Amino acid sequence: MTRADPDAGSGGDALTRPFTPGMASNDPGLAELTETVAGRVDIEIVDRETREFVEEWRNASYNCYSSGHKFCREVCPVMQVTRNESWTPTAFHANVVAMERGELDVADVAADYVNCTQCGACELRCPNTLFTGDFYRFRTRTVDVVKAVRALAVDKGVHQPQWQSWNARTDERTHEPVLGEVAVSQDTVRDWAEGLDIPVGGETVLFVDCEAAFYRTSVPRAVAQILQRAGFEFGLMGEQWCCGGPAAEMGYVEQAKRFARHNLDNWRSTGTRRVLVLDPHDYISFTEDYPKYFGDEFDIEIVLVVELLAELLRDGRITPSVPVERTVTYHDPCRLNKRKGIWEEPREILRAIPGLSFTDVDRVTQWSYCSGGGGGLPVEKPDLTAAISARRVDAAATLGVDTLVSACPWSERPLSAAGDARDIDVVDIHELLAESLGITVGGSRGEVGDRRSAGGCGGGSCGGGGGCGS
Amino acid sequence: MNRTNGYRYGEQHTPPAPQRVSDVALTTFEHVYEVDPRLMERWVLQQTFPNWDSLRIMNARHDHLDWMHRHFAEKVLTGSELLAEVDAADSSPDS
Repeated sequence: MTRADPDAGSGGDALTRPFTPGMASNDPGLAELTETVAGRVDIEIVDRETREFVEEWRNASYNCYSSGHKFCREVCPVMQVTRNESWTPTAFHANVVAMERGELDVADVAADYVNCTQCGACELRCPNTLFTGDFYRFRTRTVDVVKAVRALAVDKGVHQPQWQSWNARTDERTHEPVLGEVAVSQDTVRDWAEGLDIPVGGETVLFVDCEAAFYRTSVPRAVAQILQRAGFEFGLMGEQWCCGGPAAEMGYVEQAKRFARHNLDNWRSTGTRRVLVLDPHDYISFTEDYPKYFGDEFDIEIVLVVELLAELLRDGRITPSVPVERTVTYHDPCRLNKRKGIWEEPREILRAIPGLSFTDVDRVTQWSYCSGGGGGLPVEKPDLTAAISARRVDAAATLGVDTLVSACPWSERPLSAAGDARDIDVVDIHELLAESLGITVGGSRGEVGDRRSAGGCGGGSCGGGGGCGS
Repeated sequence: MNRTNGYRYGEQHTPPAPQRVSDVALTTFEHVYEVDPRLMERWVLQQTFPNWDSLRIMNARHDHLDWMHRHFAEKVLTGSELLAEVDAADSSPDS
């Protein structure tokens, strides 16, 4: 503990004694001291976009660079598996400082910024967020800085080849090309709901992300049928496009805004006032990106399905009664736990499912867990995503579980691939809850999930009654 | 009847009326203390902070400190206990 000099009161200037800036009781001598705060470095940045970028992000970057805590390193999923110093949150901020001083331009470093899942662990674990962020209303902003650098790169014509192709195809199809060579389109975006008799439009609609709508269709089918079981009224979107979030994450901001505009206008056209969201990535888009794009105009209520289902459980509107004989642990999706602080409701749901043996890992430990499935990483660097997923499933394997439960469709494809090698099933929490409600879910659990469930349902949690893999 | 507990832009950007707790600090939500915003109008400006973000950080801080205590602290002392020890030491005949 630092102690003030006990003799300081009798001499020296006002800075000799500890003080809190702004307090009325401070030594009046403080007001007479010359400001010694370092000013800006006057280096002219000729390029307009770069200059505007630096002006916007310099303070956020110095916030990291001048602190140098580096608590971020060991919670960063990329750092954990690569140990590459150029791919750390620290480096991402230091580069901006270097750009301000004319030492770098975006073309020099754009490829480094691919190596981030935007999980938010570094931001949250940084003392500048965790211990002072709410006090100063000024926190570490790695995710925003990474997105801004990627956007600047795109503005300057510096593209990552897979991202460029992915976003061009998304723009063409209005949905992400999650099925590879198999086309996705407006004509098929509601195919997952076949036979469920869900109306289109209405005050409340269910928004289904591209991965769940086209690849892991068992998730939206589970959600829809649970809501129907509870008597919760909802419809499907009139003309749903991709939320635009992935384009924003990869730097294609104009496209992201155009997609957001379409979706907001479409909600308005069907009288929609409330949007149910089952995917954490969509939840980020609708509660962070859309508010930035539209400000006060954004008057749509956004409801996260996992929170709604926990509420329906509490209210007794759904009661899981079919035992699910699995030994599970829960994967906290980064965009729920780290970026939104949502971790209680999924556990509430899991603890309500009879038959389940649930070995929990607390939410703080899970700040350093990630599937590697976010931020466009699987598109540009699938091997790095696979390494991060393998590490996550290895952690689950140490618990002796047979199932890893997630609440994020985008995490479930890479985790399923990693789990297959360790004989661990990856199941979505909505699928699990539906099974416990006696619902035959149907749809697909994706390539790996379907194959494993076809061989005996991997312990019997695919919705029962022939629904799995159909 | 459908019940919801969702995000609404207007609510998120309307924090509770601040209560002053010192010359330089305010409080809004329970356990959330903030610097007087007038002190951040010159060198570093405050960021846009929806309510959920202030609450997320405050809650995460408490969870993190609990986690640290569980993992690294044999026992947890309050500040008042430590001060009592200091006072006791200062007033002892040997001090």
